[in-house]
Amino acid sequence: MADQASVTNHASAPQSPHEPASQEPVSQKSLLPRVIGSRRAGLLATGALALIGLIFAWQASRLDLGQIGLPGPGFFPLLLGALLVVFAAAIAIEGRLASSKLASSKDEPLEFGHAQVLITFAALLTVPLLFELLGAYITLGLMSAVLLVCIARVSLLLAVVSSAVGMAACWYLFGELLGVRLPIGPF
Amino acid sequence: MTGFEQLVRGFSVALSWKGLLYCFIGCLWGTVVGVLPGLGPLAGMTLLLPLTFGLDPTIGIIMLTGIFYGAMYGGSTTSILVRIPGEAASVVTCIDGYEMARQGRAGPALMISAVGSFIGGTVSVLGLMFIAPPLAKVMIAIGPSVEVVLMLLALFIISIVSAGSRIKTATMVVLGLLLGTIGLDNLTGAPRFTFGSPELSGGLSFAALAIGLFGLSEILINLEKTETIKAIQPKLRDLIPRWNDVRDSAPAIGRGSVIGFIFGIIPGVSHVVSTFVSYAVEKRLSKNPEQFGKGAIAGVAGPETANNAVTGTAMIPLLALGIPSIPATALLLSALTIHGVQPGPLLLTDRPDVFWGLVASMYIGNIILLMLNLPLVGIFVNLLRIPYQWLVTAILVISIIGVYSVNSSVIDIWIMVVSGGIGYLLRKLGYEMAPLLLALVLGDRLESSFRLALTMSGGSYATFFDTASVVVLGSALGLLLLIQGLAWVFGYRKSVTDEAERA
Repeated sequence: MADQASVTNHASAPQSPHEPASQEPVSQKSLLPRVIGSRRAGLLATGALALIGLIFAWQASRLDLGQIGLPGPGFFPLLLGALLVVFAAAIAIEGRLASSKLASSKDEPLEFGHAQVLITFAALLTVPLLFELLGAYITLGLMSAVLLVCIARVSLLLAVVSSAVGMAACWYLFGELLGVRLPIGPF
Repeated sequence: MTGFEQLVRGFSVALSWKGLLYCFIGCLWGTVVGVLPGLGPLAGMTLLLPLTFGLDPTIGIIMLTGIFYGAMYGGSTTSILVRIPGEAASVVTCIDGYEMARQGRAGPALMISAVGSFIGGTVSVLGLMFIAPPLAKVMIAIGPSVEVVLMLLALFIISIVSAGSRIKTATMVVLGLLLGTIGLDNLTGAPRFTFGSPELSGGLSFAALAIGLFGLSEILINLEKTETIKAIQPKLRDLIPRWNDVRDSAPAIGRGSVIGFIFGIIPGVSHVVSTFVSYAVEKRLSKNPEQFGKGAIAGVAGPETANNAVTGTAMIPLLALGIPSIPATALLLSALTIHGVQPGPLLLTDRPDVFWGLVASMYIGNIILLMLNLPLVGIFVNLLRIPYQWLVTAILVISIIGVYSVNSSVIDIWIMVVSGGIGYLLRKLGYEMAPLLLALVLGDRLESSFRLALTMSGGSYATFFDTASVVVLGSALGLLLLIQGLAWVFGYRKSVTDEAERA
């Protein structure tokens, strides 16, 4: 017969019963995560895509376009930039038509800005800033410690020790065994 | 040298101690990334890409391909025992696999799934062995205009077979092509969208984009989830299936092999599509369709066989045409290029050791996976005991080192992080990332071939409608219609929606 084993995997479940749950039920009034209707979010996305298309098309128009039979380096990006704008517009129109057809249906809410996602992303954004300045191992060690404390909810001491051990393992695996050269910073 | 002699030579490479060791490492790591939610074959391959830099190209590709098909095996374990698909191609297995596990029949489900995977994988390698060489010979004779037609067709098919919104998929294709134009122009050397940065002259790093768009975005999405899950752990003695299980699953395995083999040719999401079609076929042909969803073993055997049968077939367009059909083979293309090997029609004549070594290793890898997955299933399931946040931290550290090591450039880390954020937002809004990556890989070659064909024809667009192009286009469209017809007959689109909701 099969045994049952409880496994916490995706869970951001607290480490102890005294700790608050990391993900509380989302209320419309709470600041984070923000709930945005899928139509509005979709419109924002299509706007961003259209903007990307326009920027590429504008920049491409400054390159040599060549002739229709012998295209230059600007021809393809100009064409693709224009196509991106057209497709973005088509998605927006499609969304608009769908919402008018199903006016009575509820706009599907999408949550943005979960604390764990924001912390992880912010930690990641600092990595390229510090990678060459402090060196790979210190930067990644700091990132690991921050993530372990903030999202895994472990004690600072455990986080620091785990990060140091992890970085030593990375140094041995990547630096010594695989010969990967990583920046060592001021040292 | 005949094909048989070359295969024997391939086995001599694959059975060398290095070939066996790296095939084993690839299969083992593939199973691990298949088991762990949030890490698919693409992220798994990208993470170990730096490990191949110091290796012979054949050995490096053997290891990366092992990760690809190993992930297909591993994905089924969590689907059956935890009801969480380790990767997208295992979503369907959750339905009946987990039901079987709840009824105390996890062992037979795992056993049949592994055996089906082995048979599907082996059948598809046979197909690769017999179809790729003659196809490559045909492709050598064709020019850039036919290449353009083939690549456009591949991108068109990606757009229409997608399970999501077609217009959104097409938009991702265009965005991928557009991002592919960043860097020096192949024909004139003119810089495009580099803003004076020498790091961008070679274009956006595929590895950085792949990890960002697939791996990082998946991690961020998973961080939002908060459920605690229960894993069912079978004992080794429970693995032996009953006679009824064998009888019910044998035809499903046969059909799954054929479905996976045929659908493997479709660019885009063939490994996912094939599982849904296989499930729909089994349900339709079953004498007891009401059992599906309640623990029917055919609902496990068919899809698991199909998703493994795709692995070999998906290698055919990559190795014979140089055109990747799914993101995992796009990464293999990128890896081969880094090693100075150009996949395509000339691969079989220029580097037969790579092609035949890979084919031989896939036979061996399937045997390794069969031996690895069943006895060690308990260990693989225990990997899920590691808290996800710890896992995330480790994955991010390895990803960043992997991405940096490809070009020793901090720009690549920026690309990974930013594309991860963008991928997270786009995926939440229903955009798929696979078409973007495939278009990114194909874009450069598509543009070069397009302009080269026009230059060779003196600027005449009629070159794209010559006899060879029309024959290729006609054959491909015929095949596509046949596959679409089959999918329609078995209600693929409806199945996708219904079963995905249930899973």
